Amino acid sequence: MTAPALTAGPTRRTSTVFVATAFVAAGASMLMGSMLAMWLDFRAKAPTRVASDGVSLIKDWLKRDVAIPEVAATTLMITFVIACVMAQWAVYSARRGDKSHTTLALAITMFTGLAIINAQIALWMQIDLVLRNDAYETMFYAITGTMMAIIVSAVVYSFVAMFRVLAGRGADHDVLRAHALYWYAVSGMFAALWFVVYVQK
Amino acid sequence: MSISVSGAPSATTAQRAANSPVQRVTGWLTTIHHATIGASLLVASALWLLVATVIGVVLGFDRLDASSAVVDAGALTQLFSLHRFALVFGVAAPAMLGLVVWSLPAQLHAANLSLSRLAAFGWWSWLVGSVTVLVSYLGNGGPGGGDAQYVETYLLGLGIVLVALALIAVSVAATVLTRRNGRALSDVPVGAFAALVTALGVVLTLPVALGTIIYVWLDYVNARVAFGGADLIDTWLGWVTREPHTLLVVVPALGVLADAVVRTARGRQPLRGVVLIGVGISLSVVASSATQQAHVFALGDTPTGTLQSLVPYALFNLVPLLAPLVVVLLSLLALRAGTPGISGAFVAAFLGVGMIFTGLVGSAAMHLDALGLVGTVFGEATLVYVVYGAVLAAIGGITLHAGSVTGRALPDGKVVLIALLGFVATVLASLPHYVAGFLDQPANVASGFDDSGLVGVTNVIVALGHLLMLVAMLGFVGLVVTSRRGDAVTDRYRVEQPA
Repeated sequence: MTAPALTAGPTRRTSTVFVATAFVAAGASMLMGSMLAMWLDFRAKAPTRVASDGVSLIKDWLKRDVAIPEVAATTLMITFVIACVMAQWAVYSARRGDKSHTTLALAITMFTGLAIINAQIALWMQIDLVLRNDAYETMFYAITGTMMAIIVSAVVYSFVAMFRVLAGRGADHDVLRAHALYWYAVSGMFAALWFVVYVQK
Repeated sequence: MSISVSGAPSATTAQRAANSPVQRVTGWLTTIHHATIGASLLVASALWLLVATVIGVVLGFDRLDASSAVVDAGALTQLFSLHRFALVFGVAAPAMLGLVVWSLPAQLHAANLSLSRLAAFGWWSWLVGSVTVLVSYLGNGGPGGGDAQYVETYLLGLGIVLVALALIAVSVAATVLTRRNGRALSDVPVGAFAALVTALGVVLTLPVALGTIIYVWLDYVNARVAFGGADLIDTWLGWVTREPHTLLVVVPALGVLADAVVRTARGRQPLRGVVLIGVGISLSVVASSATQQAHVFALGDTPTGTLQSLVPYALFNLVPLLAPLVVVLLSLLALRAGTPGISGAFVAAFLGVGMIFTGLVGSAAMHLDALGLVGTVFGEATLVYVVYGAVLAAIGGITLHAGSVTGRALPDGKVVLIALLGFVATVLASLPHYVAGFLDQPANVASGFDDSGLVGVTNVIVALGHLLMLVAMLGFVGLVVTSRRGDAVTDRYRVEQPA
């Protein structure tokens, strides 16, 4: 007597939106990575000047009269951690079928993103850097402006994901997983930018 | 109007109304069907090929007499730049991605692309971007252009083109990874695997160029001290239209050859895994593109110095050569293992990949400092080899998949003839410049060099080669149009659908 064959289990489905988000995140990472690489290249090739101690020579990259608002920049970095935690909370809540908490998590993620945008604008106003005749100025606004555009795209993603949950598509976990992935990627990009542009200067 | 008994319009009338010109146009404008999007890209790339070949002819005849110039010197710089843009982003990229979009669902037995709206958005964005670039060139706004607003327009158009191609690539990659109908990635047709490789390459390298465009644009509209204004745009962005980066765009050609040979020989590929590895090697180009510079090998004063030059040269110029080489050699092996026969798809794809390989070998040779080929027309020839090779492979790909996508196969014999014509055109449009490169004819200029003897002849032959490629392209377009209207031809590449 032969035992009956077991029926096949459910086929493993790969989420289209998750894969697409991963590719978009990879492309955005390459964009920021290349811009940071060019930043580092320009900084390495900058001429030298005497430091404020009057002895040592430093790269004449960041001008003497420019002060980086480090508190605002570091606060920005920490805010990204909150956004990531909230995005992951949305995934956790959706798995448990908790629509209200999923919506709340996505709303907080979105508003955290808006707070990040607000902080970036405040940072630009504090630094008061004018585009004049310097490579640093051009590259600073180019790289932080591009980062801003990427952050805006993440906020839009949060809004769309929240709208879908409110519209009754909360069971579609793939979008929420992809949304969280995107926020992780954006946070990673900003961490790199924060270290190179605001910490290392 | 004929009315049926029930009073409702007859099926014939309804069908006629559905096929009215207005509805056809609106249907085309709003379609998200892969076949229409892919065909649109292919047709648009054929139009850009028309532009590229005409420029090639003009430049060839302009170089006939180095003492007098037909084209204004200021416009000439931009004409050379437009030629490169037309070849890479007007012809090769949309032709290869168009072929993939057109045929990929049929290869995977899927109904449509994943994220087909994204692919449609990419196609329309590419069209808008490429037309914007063309207009900016006409307004004296390309690299080296004198009109500031048109230079900005050029950068905007180029940025749109890059983003559009990346969006199409995302759709392609998502299709291969999510619509395999339960098959492992190693079991999908090589064409689909090559599509994934090229999508990966496009998504990973074009944003690098986009980042440079953002820097260059902001610098251009402000101080123009960091990136040097319009004259240096090609210095910063030229790597996108040079080898080996162009290999990433034409990887689907390798997939066409690998699939065509198996279906032509009615056999199996004995070393299928190695073919997949060979196609995957193309991704090594991503590393060289990320560095955004040419890696020239020069003998150093010390062995360490020589090694420091050799390693990046080999990594970025020699390793990519393995991709077409492996696919060509193993295709010949598969041909031997099966029941070989001449087929249009195989001949076109084989010649196309052969041309791509020749272009890449030329690029590797050009980056040998001892040969002194950098800055000569040798570099122009490598690009023409790769792009025209991609055109030949696209002809092979369309022939290979026409039956399964449109239900109408193409006549093999005529495709073979057109492929042979295209092959001759490619050789004529490229090889003479390989020779002229060794004779030190400078690149991107039409005057100020010695045009006596062989150099003058090579430029005429190159012009004729471009003209011949135009004839081959028109011949293939005519063949496709007539095959849609004529009687159906037996599809010799037909693959049985799985139950």
